[in-house]
Amino acid sequence: MLADRLAVKPSTEDTVSRADLHRRAVWRTRLIAYAFLAPTFIFILSFSYYPAVRALIGAFTSWDGFNPPTWIGFSNFTQAFQDPVFLQSIGHVALWTVVGIPLALVPPFIVAELVFQLRSMRAQYLYRTLFIISMVLPTVVGILIWQYIYEPTGVLNAVLKLIGLGFIHHAWLANPAYALWAVILMGFPWVAPFNLLIYYAGLQAIPGELFDAAAVDGTTRWGRVLKVDLPLVMSQVKLLLVLSIVGVSQNLLTPLLMTGGGPGTSTTTPVFYMYQTAINYDQYGYGMAIAFMVFVVVMVLALLNMRYFQSES
Amino acid sequence: MVQKRTPSLTTHIILLILAALTLYPMIFMVFNAFKSGVQTAASPFSFPLHPLLQNFSLAFQATASAYWRSGFVVSVSVAAMLAFALLSAYAFARLEFPEREVLFYVIFGLLLVPGFLTLIPLFLEIKALNLLNSLWGLILPYIAGGQAFCVFILRTFVRSIPGDLFDAARIDGAGELQSFLKIVVPLSVPIVVTLALLNIVGLWSDYILPSLILSSNHATVAMAIANFQPPPLAPSVNAFNLQLAAFTMASIPIAVLFLFLMRYFVAGITNGAIKM
Repeated sequence: MLADRLAVKPSTEDTVSRADLHRRAVWRTRLIAYAFLAPTFIFILSFSYYPAVRALIGAFTSWDGFNPPTWIGFSNFTQAFQDPVFLQSIGHVALWTVVGIPLALVPPFIVAELVFQLRSMRAQYLYRTLFIISMVLPTVVGILIWQYIYEPTGVLNAVLKLIGLGFIHHAWLANPAYALWAVILMGFPWVAPFNLLIYYAGLQAIPGELFDAAAVDGTTRWGRVLKVDLPLVMSQVKLLLVLSIVGVSQNLLTPLLMTGGGPGTSTTTPVFYMYQTAINYDQYGYGMAIAFMVFVVVMVLALLNMRYFQSES
Repeated sequence: MVQKRTPSLTTHIILLILAALTLYPMIFMVFNAFKSGVQTAASPFSFPLHPLLQNFSLAFQATASAYWRSGFVVSVSVAAMLAFALLSAYAFARLEFPEREVLFYVIFGLLLVPGFLTLIPLFLEIKALNLLNSLWGLILPYIAGGQAFCVFILRTFVRSIPGDLFDAARIDGAGELQSFLKIVVPLSVPIVVTLALLNIVGLWSDYILPSLILSSNHATVAMAIANFQPPPLAPSVNAFNLQLAAFTMASIPIAVLFLFLMRYFVAGITNGAIKM
């Protein structure tokens, strides 16, 4: 009995204190971790999550920004689908997406291939640098220079005149028939530096033996591009596709600076309309409802893309 | 064998034409920044043979105060953003605590929240906090906005530091904070520089949020050049050239950063993308 108690008692005490110690250690690490995480969480909760939640709730309210918001359920959404400007803006962004995505994906790939196929590494470096220099221009500057290029007395009309096509002279951004196309086609020849770098890195990561094998098989240069290079940069294509969809659908800066959504509403996109309803017309609830819809559509498109491409590869 | 038949000359010609067209808006900007309005009207494409340096001093007069504001906003935002992100990255990569995964996804989930969704509530929040026309009204959201991406990249980096280093430090009696300061901070300089560069470029050219929060007499550089007002004494015929001079000047800080740190930048984009 005594021996039993002597044997058992210390051992239970031991396990208790070990569990206690363990618990204390867990709490200690937890507290340290929380201390390390605190600044990040204070900031993202106040300036990222709070506005995000407010945006989602605000979509179901009517709000002028001064008086307290009132809950109106789905009214903003039903209103949007009867709003000709909103419906028209969906068409605009759809066209922009359909035309803009090939422009974001194809020219940078062609240039990446051309650069990558040069034999001299110095030449490759030189061209790569030439094509990415324009990254130093602030986005605002790029847009405003293109705005000038499109002006009636601007560069585009001067070039058209120079090559004998002076009769297609237009005030590109002032004419509702051309303004949206002008905005979409801005940036000719569309060699986006970021996209170029992504493709180029993808090409560099392809093992050299594959090119040798293609050469032994007598594959032509562009045959190899289609059969070897393109399949092996599919993960880059996928990344750029998702980024372009997200980028085009939330591009607010271009219409805001270049056209102000006009002339009329001819270059109004949903995100621009959101800005306009909220900031210019004080219809904050309605603006947030539009943002909500764009958000849902973009998320669905991005997820579908990732799904589709993941199952492929 | 195929390599020998590649028509290298054609490739060079195509690349040069494409490069010239790609760079054209920039060349146009720089050339015409040195001309008068009359010269631009007469020959918008030509090289400025008689450079008008006065354009730059006039353009700078009109935008000088914006450089101080942008410099302050960008440096404070990026420094705080990266300091906080690195602390969090350390916690996620090196500390074992029960809520680690959940909290990581709370941060990571923000990558799915697009800027346009939060733009209007953020503007209203800043207004309610009485921070309109204050640079802090930009700095606070900027610090928050950078967390998701920076924590994500830095966590991967801190994880890749060999555990032996931390074990050795622990044996020497170092606590978590010392390990962080003496091991993680010095080793992460290259990746932090890359992230700093990406964020500096982004914040320097940000226009929409500043244009909502600041009035034109508190403008940042991006605002001041977009809504450019030439100084009162400047000849109005040259207003457009002065604006181009202002554009050119606003690109110089970024160009200087690129000149010294291009390697980090290219590595950052390409490595980051492949890992994703």
